[in-house]
Order: sequence, then C-alpha cells, then structure tokens
Amino acid sequence: MIFKTYFSNRITFKALAAAAFILIVLSSCDRDRNNPGYAYFPDMAYSEAYEPYSVNPFFKDGKSMQDPAIGSIPRGHIPYQYPKTYEGQVQAGIDLINPLLKNEANLSRGKDGYEIFCAVCHGEQGKGDGELYTSKKFPVQPTSLVSDRIVNKPEGEIFHIITMGSLSNLMGAHGSQIKVEDRWKIILYMRNNFSEKVN
Amino acid sequence: MKEKIRFLITNLLSTILLVFAIQFFVQSQTNAPEQYKVCAACHTIGEGKLIGPDLKGITEKRDEAWLIDFIRSSQTMIKNGDEEAVKLFDEYKIPMPDNKMTDEEIKEILTFIRNSSKEPVLADKTESQSVVPASSTSETVLEDFMPYQLAKSRLRLNIKFLISILLILLMLIDLIFTRFIKFRIIHIVIILVALTLGVQVVVAKAIGLGRQEGYEPDQPIKFSHKVHVTGNKIDCKYCHSTVEESRYAGIPSTSVCLNCHHVVREGQHTGTTEINKIYEAFESQKPIEWVKVHNLPDHVFFSHAQHVAVGKVDCNHCHGEVENMDRIRQVNSLSMGWCINCHRNTEVQFKSNEYYTSFMKLHDDIKSGKISKVTVDQVGGNNCQACHN
Repeated sequence: MIFKTYFSNRITFKALAAAAFILIVLSSCDRDRNNPGYAYFPDMAYSEAYEPYSVNPFFKDGKSMQDPAIGSIPRGHIPYQYPKTYEGQVQAGIDLINPLLKNEANLSRGKDGYEIFCAVCHGEQGKGDGELYTSKKFPVQPTSLVSDRIVNKPEGEIFHIITMGSLSNLMGAHGSQIKVEDRWKIILYMRNNFSEKVN
Repeated sequence: MKEKIRFLITNLLSTILLVFAIQFFVQSQTNAPEQYKVCAACHTIGEGKLIGPDLKGITEKRDEAWLIDFIRSSQTMIKNGDEEAVKLFDEYKIPMPDNKMTDEEIKEILTFIRNSSKEPVLADKTESQSVVPASSTSETVLEDFMPYQLAKSRLRLNIKFLISILLILLMLIDLIFTRFIKFRIIHIVIILVALTLGVQVVVAKAIGLGRQEGYEPDQPIKFSHKVHVTGNKIDCKYCHSTVEESRYAGIPSTSVCLNCHHVVREGQHTGTTEINKIYEAFESQKPIEWVKVHNLPDHVFFSHAQHVAVGKVDCNHCHGEVENMDRIRQVNSLSMGWCINCHRNTEVQFKSNEYYTSFMKLHDDIKSGKISKVTVDQVGGNNCQACHN
C-alpha cells in the first residue's frame, strides 16, 4: 500500500528507476586498487611484443626471458671454473689475483658495493655485527671479516666465496648480483679499510 | 531428537578440550630453545647430514663436558689438538663458529637434542601447529596498514557526477511534463549549474585516463618493502641489482630471496605462509608472477640506468616512500607532464660524472660565466626521441 501511494505518479517512478540505473553503471566504472584503469590509445599503450618479464605462451616454461642455450658464453666473459667445494675454494685462492689497482675511484666504488651487499650482515666495519644479526632476525653470527682466519685468506678465496657462496651455505652466492669488477673492488675496500686496524 | 543434539555437542566439546590438552602437553614438552635456531642452520636431529653432522643421539655418543667445550669454541679444541675435534674437522672441513653461551644455555640445548632424538616426530608436529596463529593474525594487520584515500576522492567525484545528472533529468522532466516550478528561468539556471559540475567531473576523469596513480595491486607473495628496507636496512640495490646498467631495475630471482631466507624461515608478520611460497617456487622452478605496478605506455622509452647511474636520481624521487609501503603503490602519475616538469627543474650533476665529458661547451660556458646553470632539457632531455623511440 505504501509503495502504491508513494509511487502513484508513474513519471517519478521512472525517473527514480533511471537514477538507480545510472548509479549502478557509474559505480561499476569506479577504479579499485587492483585495477590499473584505462588508456587513451590501447594499441599504443600496450606492447604487442612480449615484455622481458611477461608470460609467453610460445615457450614451454612460459617465460619470455629465456636462458641462453646451454654452453653459450657471452662475449668478453670468462666462465667461472671453480666448483663450490673445499678444494675448489683453495684452488681459486691460489689461481685468482686481484687485477685492479688500489686507487681512490676503485676504493670508493668498493665501499658503495660493500655497503649495499655486505654490510647488512657483516657490519659497517666487517666485525660480523650487521643489522640483520644485531636485530636477531638472522640467527647465526656472520663471519667477522677482521678475524685472523679471514685476514689470512688469499683474496682469490674471498672472491670465490662472494661468487659461489660460503661452504656452510650460510652466505648465499652473490655472483648474479655483483659484477666481477665490483667484487674485486669490494675486496680492495675490505683489505684496505678493515684489516689494518686489527693488525 | 533433542537428546541426539545434546549428545553431539558434548562429544564435540570434549574432543576440542582433548585436542587443546594434547597440544599444550606436546608444546611444553619439546619447545626448541631460542639458541637452537643457530644450530638448526647447519644441523638436523634425525634428518641426516646437513653442513655439520646429524645430532641424533649425540648426547649418548659423547661426554657432556666435551660437548660444552666444543659448542663454545671448536677452534680452540682443534688448536689444542683434541683428537675427536681434529677428526671431525678433517671430515667436514668447515669450522663450527664459536658460541658465546653459558653452561645452562648449552645444557638446555643438549636436553632438547636428547628429547628430540627419542621422538623426532613430535618436534615436527609442534612446528606446524605453532605456525597457524601467527599467520592468521598477521594477515589482518597487513590489510589494515594502508589508508586508502584515493578511492574516497574518486567516489566523491562519482557522486558529484550523479547528482548533476539527476538534477538535469529532474528539471527536464518538470519542464516538459509536471511543471511544479512555474518560472522557466529557474529550470535553465539549475540545468546550467548541473552541466558545469558534470563537465568538471568528465574532464577530471579524462585526465585520469592512462594514469595509474594509486594503483596498488595484490601480489602473489605478501612481500613488504617496509619490513625489508626500514626494518632490516637492506639497500634497494641489493635486490634490484641491475638498476645501474639496465633499462629495468630488475626483479630479483628466487635465489636472491634465498640468500637470507634459507635461514630465515619465519616472517614477523606472516609466519611461514608467505616465505614458504619462495621454497615452492624454487623447488618447482616456476617463477613467481609478480604484478608490475609502474607501467609506462609502450611508446615511451625509459631507462633506469640513465636516471640512476648517470642522473643520480634517488629511487624515492619517482617511486615515493617505498620504505614505508607494505604493498607497493604508485604514488606519481608518471604522465608526460610529470616527466617534463622534472626535466625542466632538475639540474645536471656534472661533477664526477664521466658521462657528460662530451658536453664540454656547457662546462666552459659556466666557467666563463655566460650561463649560471644547466637544466636537463639543454642536454637533450626534451628531445621527442629521448622517450619516444
């Protein structure tokens, strides 16, 4: 009954119905945080080619970024030949020599690299007191880089550990993150700025 | 019927009580001491050799005093020529790090090892049970973190548009059919006001087309930049290590996550649920499908290397305060006007920047005092093809 008296005028009812319809249409256009929204010219905005990180239906593993064929060697790149074993590490220590000079540019680049990749665990001064350990998030104390054991290690062995990770597996391999040159620069910085203070 | 229900309820209650009692009993029995975490990185109890030997039954095999000495400093024992210690070192070749622990702490660990050696299954059970509550509470915490003001402002825009349309419709209907208001001029004024309101909204919406400001998609793993950057002080470049050489900052591979997470197996907010997804991805060799947040149209060329390595622009400058975001959100519009504005105002850093040696003329002009500063558009920053190629 109430409904009838309220909406006896058919035109008002129609107007209300239209308003409700518009409300539904508009609210469905509203962007939520999971929706990137629309583009002006979609044909120019979205790539026809597959982006490096996109899913690709033409490959079995679904990745656009495919690994190079097995055994291929990039130009100017020497494959790393020492296995992650005790013997491999010792051999790397004998064979590998730091090819870089100890100059200001190399040391400052080494400092940057050390602070990005090493200091979180090994600490600003290499004492094994980095943020991750002192905040108790990483349960194992990282090796002190100023301890006798590390100071007496040849530089090649340290290069091997950065590249392949430590034998205990507590330190992961950083070869994919740090370029060869930068690894040597970090070692230069380590040797120049830490060990002298201890000895 | 009633009796049946009563019987069922009492049965249910008693089983729940029993389960709780068992849980409590089990947890109080074999809770691993805090210090054992350190040991667990290299040793297992009854699950085979890891980096160091399996600890199952070690308390029966060796003397307690010997174990305490060895745990405290295995290196000194080897130096002093302890036969057993030297034999172990020759076999495993990796020295066990020294541990600064009191006798009581070590004894606590040894008791735990002794208990776990007897019934290793129990230890597994407690682990899986203790995980559940941690993860369920943390999810709600994460959801509540971000205030979402952008959605609100958008909603207001929609309501404004709706009101303007309604007004126009009502006035038109009144004008043609019902004629409640006698003077036509009132209709026209109201319609005009409503029209301007509506057009304002349409313009605002049109400007927003193709811009993703406020885009904050759910990611396959609830990875929090806040926890990793502010909490753990990890540098952006540790994970996004290609940012200085590549167009892309680079999404870290799962093996980079594992650099820390093969030891850190429980998160502070999400327990093991989220971190376990890394192991799943690593074991199945299926990449994690992160959702890209900062998208540029295909006709725009942008290089991180140019901006970060050469321009020395800070990450925050474009990406906002990532260190305070649990879920990554786009804070800038990344529109062309936004890029150009920055290029107009950013002064080029010539000092200690080899990239710009070809711009000697500008150097000389500054030296001779002809010009006082150089902006990006003077070194090609406003060339169409710098971005559109």
